[in-house]
Amino acid sequence: MSFVPGQPVTAVVQRIEIQKLRQGNNLILGFSIGGGIDQDPGQNPFSEDKTDKGIYVTRITPGGPADVAGLMMGDKIMQVNGWDMTMVTHDKARKRLTKKNEDVVRLLVTRKSLEEAVKHSMGTYHKQ
Amino acid sequence: MFCRNQTARATVARGSALEMEIRRGKFRKSVFLDTSQDSDIQKKIDHEIRMRDGACKLLAACSQRDQALEAAKSLQTCSTRIMAYMSELQRMKEAQVMQKVTRRSSDAGPMDDRLPCKGKVAISDLRIPLMWKDTEYFKNKGELHRCAVFCLLQLGGEIFDTDMVIVDRTLTDICFDNTIVFSEAGPGFELRVELYSCCSEDDYSAGSTPRKLASKLSSSLGRSAGKKLRAAMEPGPCSPVSNGGAAPLLLPVPSVPGPKYHLLAHTTLSLSHVQDSFRTHDLTISGNEECSYWLPLYGSMCCRLAAQPHCMTQQMMSGCLKVKVRWQQCGGDPQSWTKVYAVLKGTSLFCYHRQEDVEANIEPAFTIGINKDTRIRASEKDPHSKVQNICISNQYGGEEVTHTLTTDSREDTHRWMEAFWQHFYDMSQWKQCCDDLMKIELPSPRKPAPVTPKQGSLYHEMVIESSDDLSSTVSDILARRMQELELRSQLGTSPTWMSVFEENNAKSAGRTRHCTSRLSGHSPCTPHRLPRSPASPHRCPQLGLLSSDASLTSDSDSHCSTSPCSQHHGWPEPSSSFSLLSSSPSRLRPRTLSLDAKLSTLRGRGYGGGGAFQCPCQPPPSSLLAPLPISSRSPRSQRSTQTTLSCSSSTSSNSSSNSEGSHSPESSEGVPFSRPSPARRSLRNLRARLDPRNWLQSQV
Repeated sequence: MSFVPGQPVTAVVQRIEIQKLRQGNNLILGFSIGGGIDQDPGQNPFSEDKTDKGIYVTRITPGGPADVAGLMMGDKIMQVNGWDMTMVTHDKARKRLTKKNEDVVRLLVTRKSLEEAVKHSMGTYHKQ
Repeated sequence: MFCRNQTARATVARGSALEMEIRRGKFRKSVFLDTSQDSDIQKKIDHEIRMRDGACKLLAACSQRDQALEAAKSLQTCSTRIMAYMSELQRMKEAQVMQKVTRRSSDAGPMDDRLPCKGKVAISDLRIPLMWKDTEYFKNKGELHRCAVFCLLQLGGEIFDTDMVIVDRTLTDICFDNTIVFSEAGPGFELRVELYSCCSEDDYSAGSTPRKLASKLSSSLGRSAGKKLRAAMEPGPCSPVSNGGAAPLLLPVPSVPGPKYHLLAHTTLSLSHVQDSFRTHDLTISGNEECSYWLPLYGSMCCRLAAQPHCMTQQMMSGCLKVKVRWQQCGGDPQSWTKVYAVLKGTSLFCYHRQEDVEANIEPAFTIGINKDTRIRASEKDPHSKVQNICISNQYGGEEVTHTLTTDSREDTHRWMEAFWQHFYDMSQWKQCCDDLMKIELPSPRKPAPVTPKQGSLYHEMVIESSDDLSSTVSDILARRMQELELRSQLGTSPTWMSVFEENNAKSAGRTRHCTSRLSGHSPCTPHRLPRSPASPHRCPQLGLLSSDASLTSDSDSHCSTSPCSQHHGWPEPSSSFSLLSSSPSRLRPRTLSLDAKLSTLRGRGYGGGGAFQCPCQPPPSSLLAPLPISSRSPRSQRSTQTTLSCSSSTSSNSSSNSEGSHSPESSEGVPFSRPSPARRSLRNLRARLDPRNWLQSQV
């Protein structure tokens, strides 16, 4: 998941679709995000590369919409409903997730375990 | 021949050659009579003509620019729809004529061509990026050149338009939020997307100024304004429909003064573009920079195009069957027949025990997969009954499983085989849409935006999640955290910051009272999680205050020497209010004022007092919890709840320039974390690491 500035990023992603939950006047997703291009990437406990300014999932409400959809703590969010999240400010990321007129957010997330899984499956393939 | 009252008839002009032919009986008039299909279209055309007239009148009567733009948009949509209906009518009439001609000449060939099933096609989240020159984008002065744009989407005979969006140079993308669903589309559909734009500036009344005067004006107005004026006056696309004799004549589109939309870009999407996620497609741009309606498009369009063929959503075939299963591995004779009620839908054949189960939504007894890899064949005639069996073979893993179906009569067997062939044909036509059911959301009716009175601070807009932690048991929370930790450790390299805590663990011994803890060490001091209710925002100011206040006090390291009694002394005051807050939601009540007073007195006491209540955080959790009623809670649960709260309160304090004096959390305190506590340190450290004062987090 490390990236070289200026080069395209390749990652193994998982598609997660979260139905927002309505609570009163608000639509909640049930997780917290951290990161952004205006934040200090060295403080991110989840990122492998401490210069990664991406948006990470820092906490999941147990039983909430994100938990039900399969989002995990430590995931890096690459896209939200088609919008890129690898180069956004923190506030922009929050806004993209909390649009009032959207009931569903479709995320593309990546995590290290996905890369490992692909590597392992590729490995067995090569052995054959 | 010319009947004014009839709405569904062909207009044959008097004295025309066609009339003469009809009189002579060469062609029966019925050839040109509208069938019921035609009359539907005729009704639609009439409806659209009425809409168009209405739009023209509205346009003429409009005074405001927005209304005029909307009216012009409906005019454009109606005109396009009329043209589409007209051409469809034309095609149908031609087909009729051809049909009648061929029928006379030769026998109708075997209508064996299988037609694929129709489906729903939905396009949503249209986004068209713009590519402004950087000089334009950042230009702050000068008038804002604005364009009104909308999209027309056409599939088959259905035409829909999106809402209108005003675009100027501060926008980077044109976004259309609408979801458009076309209900009857075949697999070979062509969805044409057209982007229309119209310059939304000063009112140019098209056509009223004579050209000579216009050119004189343009030279005196200044180059760019004059260019725009001249471009706006060029005649827009008019659409007179001229047909042969058979179809009704249509008046040309009346040219109305007012804004006119021009085609800016278009593209055509088909089955190969359908996917369950967002994709980018190329646009063909018409027009150039000189046009008034020009926008610098990047050249592509992003959207989500999904399709639900009816074979995936509807029951294609259902009936009673008898089934038996045979696994390849265990050979031998198959078991006895099982009587089921089977439903063919999507990629499976669902077998229910009884027909009533289908409506009752009970799980089927078993499911047979019907997909691209399934093989179906009719077996030889069963010697006992004269009916052929149907064999369905699937590969599950490495082995082949064969289900044999039989029905009560030959006709039923034939119908089922026919249904299977049709299903396979549909799946071959709809290709990737039949792998999985794509979701299409019907646009939910927009609720009117609730009018919330503007409240003073951002705290009131915050929502805090529900207090499920209060109800779940401690062991659950512990188990969950352990799982997370295990997962993390399984991922291989432990985060680099873990090593710091390992060292500290080794150094420290038991419950020490270090005051050199990080700021984050005591941020999880607020030991509760507030319920997510409108009343809760009142809590936030207090806690935001507390955490910021604590952060202020933590900078000084000199409070190590506070004695235990002063600790407890310093703590209970805020903790009492906290304990109140941390209890069940029903006992919450706003205590902002009193806490404010308390905190100010604490602050007044200087760092001694402030440091006092900072210190309790360092010793292991049990002492921390002592003054609080929920002392039985484990540290980790505390921290999780605490972090939530501090997250949310810090968010608000970060995003608003809060005058309460909270300092920015961005400053990363480099104080080493030396808080060795026996168990679950690393997770607590993770929580500590997630202190929003170091690293901003937002709840969504």
